[in-house]
Amino acid sequence: MNTKYLGYTLWFFSLCLSMVACKDDKYTVPQPKNQLQNDCIKRTLGPNVAGLKIEFAYAMALPAARGKIVSAQVEASIPGDAATYLENKSYYTNGSGEDVGIPIGDPSVNEGAVTKVTFTKDTNAVTLRYYYVIPPTAKGKEVKFTFSAKSSNGETVSYVMGPYTISNMDMVLDLPVKNGDACYISIADMAVYNAADAAANAAKIDLVYLYRAISDVSFNHALVSPAADTTYLPGVVLPTGVNRDTKIRKTWNLRDRHLARLQYGIYIDDLDFQQLDMKGSPDYAINLKSEAGAWVETADGKYRAYIYMNKVDDAKKSATISMKRYTLK
Amino acid sequence: MKRYSAILLLLLMTTLGWMGCKKDDAPIDEDGLLITTRAECYVSNFELLGSDFQTVRTRNAVIDTVACTINVTVFFGTDLKNLFPQFTLVTDAKLDPKITGFTDFSDLANPRSYTVIAGNRQVRKTYKVIVAVQPR
Repeated sequence: MNTKYLGYTLWFFSLCLSMVACKDDKYTVPQPKNQLQNDCIKRTLGPNVAGLKIEFAYAMALPAARGKIVSAQVEASIPGDAATYLENKSYYTNGSGEDVGIPIGDPSVNEGAVTKVTFTKDTNAVTLRYYYVIPPTAKGKEVKFTFSAKSSNGETVSYVMGPYTISNMDMVLDLPVKNGDACYISIADMAVYNAADAAANAAKIDLVYLYRAISDVSFNHALVSPAADTTYLPGVVLPTGVNRDTKIRKTWNLRDRHLARLQYGIYIDDLDFQQLDMKGSPDYAINLKSEAGAWVETADGKYRAYIYMNKVDDAKKSATISMKRYTLK
Repeated sequence: MKRYSAILLLLLMTTLGWMGCKKDDAPIDEDGLLITTRAECYVSNFELLGSDFQTVRTRNAVIDTVACTINVTVFFGTDLKNLFPQFTLVTDAKLDPKITGFTDFSDLANPRSYTVIAGNRQVRKTYKVIVAVQPR
């Protein structure tokens, strides 16, 4: 008798369980808020280096019954470079995958730290891009952005992004170097000099670029410290006073996105330079290929840098280099 | 009857407990590696990488398993102070000293030695890594 009841109870219980399991949650269409709203995302990745842009997409919308958007503005805690702007176009992607811009207002105006777009079209919803060009004065500081929008009925909304740390690094892109000509590299000046200019800036020359095609030996494109063994500077006559002993370490597969501008999502950041240990590194790097790189530390220990070989040309005995530099002292 | 069941249960639990405490008797060495019966003891392949983790060998390393030497020629201009050696050993063998990172091979007159220890940990063979730089 007991067993029978127990059986019934179990059946009932499992039935209840299965009913609960099959219950569907009813979907309800979300109700829009009857007010001006906004949202923002940061679109750029990687360290924020002076001279580069930080890109944001700022979206704002309000119901048609509550008027239209009249203006949008961004206030940065540190004024951006003159090239900083807020798009005055709203973009959509057409069938061919191209972004097509529809102007919604006048081009943005920078007034100190504020960048503003005044709307000229009836607009209820729009996403505007904001490009903050990092000024050199912001290096090592933190920057914060306040996005805000205003509607015709006086309503305002705002959205705070950040703070974001601005890197201490300096960057220079696409310096052409040529064997026997513009081949003296200065990390301090982030520049390349020819022999005459190198003699005038002798104390700042850290590396010599040279190309040698030596049979049976892979020498090719090289970055050699002026004080290195002459074996690594074959046929090079250094200008007077060019004698620094720079440490350099060859690297492969480190195609920094900023320097290489290729598809690889690798970024060299301040931390990499801070933690770099160049003890025991040689003072030459030979057989550097295209897309290779080298970590460098200057003789006075003032700078650490990463030199990337954008391209090399054996026939012309030349190369194009890009550099990120971090100041230690 | 009840008493018998209790005794039976107790016996079962004791057996289970005893089984649970039984120690695995497979022997392991100080590195926690299994000691096996294999007595083979040799290097089957050798690689040498530079600071950019690319090979610095001009050709395959010559491994003499009788003389216990590894002769390797590296490119002209190789930074001998920062080389990453990679040994491939016979099954179950291990290497002493262990490779922990970049190693200094710049003292060409005194080649570095590495000992291969067989799977049974009874046979040891010391290999010399003789590095030569490609002449210019």
